Amino acid sequence: MPFLQFSNVDYSYPTGDKDFIQALYSVDLTVERGEFVALVGTNGSGKSTLARLANGLYVPDRGFVTVDGQSTGEKGNLYDIRKKIGVVFQNPDNQTVTTVVEDDVAFGPENLGLAPAEIRERVDWALECVGMSEYAKSNPARLSGGQKQRVAIAGVLALKPELMILDEATGMLDPEGRAEVMKVVTRLNRDEGMAVIMITHFMEEAAQADRIVILKNGRVTADGRELFSQPHAFTDAGLELPLTVRLGVKLKAAGLDLGLPLDADAFVAAAVKALGGDE
Amino acid sequence: MLEVVRLSYVYSPKTPFAKQALRGVDLKIEDGDFFGIIGGTGAGKSTLVSHFNALTRVQKKSGTVVVDGVDLSGKRLDLKKLRASVGMVFQYPEHQLFDDTVEKDVAFGPKNLGLTKDEQAARAKQAIELVGLDYAEFAQRSPFELSGGQKRRVAIAGVIAMHPKILVLDEPTAGLDPKGKREIMKLILNIKQLCPTVIMISHNMDEIAEYCNKIAVMKNGAVAGVYTPRELFGSRETIGSCGVALPLVTELAAKLCAAGLPVDPATLTEDDLIKQLTEAARA
Amino acid sequence: MRDLTVGQYYPSNSVVHRADPRFKLLILCVYFVMVFFCDTFFSFAFVTVFVLVTVFIARVPLLKVLKGIRPVLIVLLFTTALMIVFYRDESAAPLAEWWIFKIYLSGIYASLKLAWRLLLLVLMPSLLTLTSTPTEICDGWESLLTPLKWIKVPVHELALIMSIALRLIPTLVDETDKIMNAQKARCAEFDSRNPFKKIKAMLPVLIPLFVSSFRRADELADAMDSRCYRGAKGRTRMKKLKCRAGDVIALLFWCAVFVCVLFLKYNWLNWAFIPLLGI
Repeated sequence: MPFLQFSNVDYSYPTGDKDFIQALYSVDLTVERGEFVALVGTNGSGKSTLARLANGLYVPDRGFVTVDGQSTGEKGNLYDIRKKIGVVFQNPDNQTVTTVVEDDVAFGPENLGLAPAEIRERVDWALECVGMSEYAKSNPARLSGGQKQRVAIAGVLALKPELMILDEATGMLDPEGRAEVMKVVTRLNRDEGMAVIMITHFMEEAAQADRIVILKNGRVTADGRELFSQPHAFTDAGLELPLTVRLGVKLKAAGLDLGLPLDADAFVAAAVKALGGDE
Repeated sequence: MLEVVRLSYVYSPKTPFAKQALRGVDLKIEDGDFFGIIGGTGAGKSTLVSHFNALTRVQKKSGTVVVDGVDLSGKRLDLKKLRASVGMVFQYPEHQLFDDTVEKDVAFGPKNLGLTKDEQAARAKQAIELVGLDYAEFAQRSPFELSGGQKRRVAIAGVIAMHPKILVLDEPTAGLDPKGKREIMKLILNIKQLCPTVIMISHNMDEIAEYCNKIAVMKNGAVAGVYTPRELFGSRETIGSCGVALPLVTELAAKLCAAGLPVDPATLTEDDLIKQLTEAARA
Repeated sequence: MRDLTVGQYYPSNSVVHRADPRFKLLILCVYFVMVFFCDTFFSFAFVTVFVLVTVFIARVPLLKVLKGIRPVLIVLLFTTALMIVFYRDESAAPLAEWWIFKIYLSGIYASLKLAWRLLLLVLMPSLLTLTSTPTEICDGWESLLTPLKWIKVPVHELALIMSIALRLIPTLVDETDKIMNAQKARCAEFDSRNPFKKIKAMLPVLIPLFVSSFRRADELADAMDSRCYRGAKGRTRMKKLKCRAGDVIALLFWCAVFVCVLFLKYNWLNWAFIPLLGI
């Protein structure tokens, strides 16, 4: 059984009196333990709704979402589900509950009712993982955006989830902050075996994932590994390609075939091969 | 023309929390410039630009700011006139929207300037159209029910409606998806035809390299240097000493050049890079 | 506003800073009651000496502590002035007389005592907020008020609300600043003297502020739910408040000061020197 499963999920949310906007249409999606999935789509494509459905903040109108076999539709399951799926949201300012970093990270494990010594251990470990140990006693309000978001990740980590969803968690950060967060996330996936769903509109970030899911107007329009080999899947969904892929497409149209390299090094290698260089 | 001379600024002076945000900034921005200001978080960019329309007043004995001949450290400053001529679009400007229709919200500035109802309406209409929204469709809608990108346009229109001569933008594309980013930048180029001087703070080096003709690099509250994009991104030493990231295209071009390909390491646009590569293939 | 909450804490590592917040709150209670038993200049001076010693041990500049008076300064001056002119002493002749006002020597004494008492009442709470973080004070109250849970007072929820409010106030102050600046940049004026106009002028700030506060509240609730928050049930704490010998000694010490004050007032053992200590 897949770890996280969306089966034929519809979801709409109310706007005003009796109006509804349908955000998702018959979404099927599965994520296994240890996977690194990027979920991409333009603003308003339903990405964030999907994140909130995964841990039962929203419940599907039709179809069902299960985590480790438990449906989010059952209220009694939510606590277990939220222990297994952590969510980091977009705005780092709206996720902290206290004025001391380590107390905030402790909030989750405290909710689990763990012994103080174990909470302490988890908090120290989580802060270590995101490289924020030296700020344990600081006030989150005085940290940079990237640091705040790393604290938010630590707060989720301290629950020891099996899957972490980052809902545009890098969207409000500067490039430095974004790089900090990406480094932490890829390391958690690689070293701790944590499954990650990275919701983003930065294609350079998406390119680091094992698998990409494209969402357009509430529907999954593409889902797979090596999806960048089908550039139209992205352009059709109104998305931009990573620079190197974009250049590959344009160069091919101009008569120079370098393939569709995923990063700068691959691009240089392809160019050297095609044009001849030092190497 | 905007000129900053030896400007310093201290937050909460004479307290344990005192923090020097600016240390002797010198800067000259000519009419017609698309002037970029870059630098890490806390480098003083926002503090600097908030002096330009006197939201932050020049502290005593801390230098001067002169906008079109008006010394902003002077005592009798016509704030209305200054703020009408220096328009300022803050980060996430959609957070400032408040009125019940788009038209009223955009007309807020002109209203505060004391213009007649007709003039307010005319300016609102012009500004709404200038930011690429259909007047008939949007004027009477509530700004709160628009999409994120549309809200941002309305907020920018609210500043444009004051008919500024200098437009200051703080991270105008933050939080938008790539398509939204490109649309907003296109919009700013349109606005530049009416408001010739644009000053933009950005962390996005691709945008800075593509649009700005001059770039000031800020570091620890001071200006480390003012460069053209080619000077800044084309020279390893400048980049290194300023601690600036390269635009993605330039980074790729530099790597190609290092691999022995005939590519200019200071390439700033994709089209330029494509041209060079196809030419190399033909040769 | 900002100074009122976060900036108020004066970081240091003094004994007073490290003390158990519960005991600080208990001492504050004892102190409050004690100040109401003070009725001679000698007893006021007696208590003031101990307050100054505490400030000294806390290594907080006296001026910082005195700043706590600022909000009540006007009330203080006003009541003192009223007391001087309206005090009536039938047993003595007035020092001066004008229209309905009569000034007696005993009136001056009484009003000076009133001012001194108010001053003492403000100093210690001011010192408490300078030497304890908001989180510590919240935790202290939560722990002290735990018995109230038996009569169904939601002590934990109240403490959490306090803590979140304290966490969010600086964020909201920043946000207010930003919105005000954005509207000022559009030539809005907020310094009207007419109160009705003033309220109207503030709408362009208040409306966006409300909109964003609701959005923040929503997101924070989602983030807390995602981190397994279920209320006080089954929740544990990482930092158990620990009382040390020093805390108990400090409390006992202040109780002793209280007893001294009581002796000064009631002179139970009829010591001859006490009446000599003056009015």
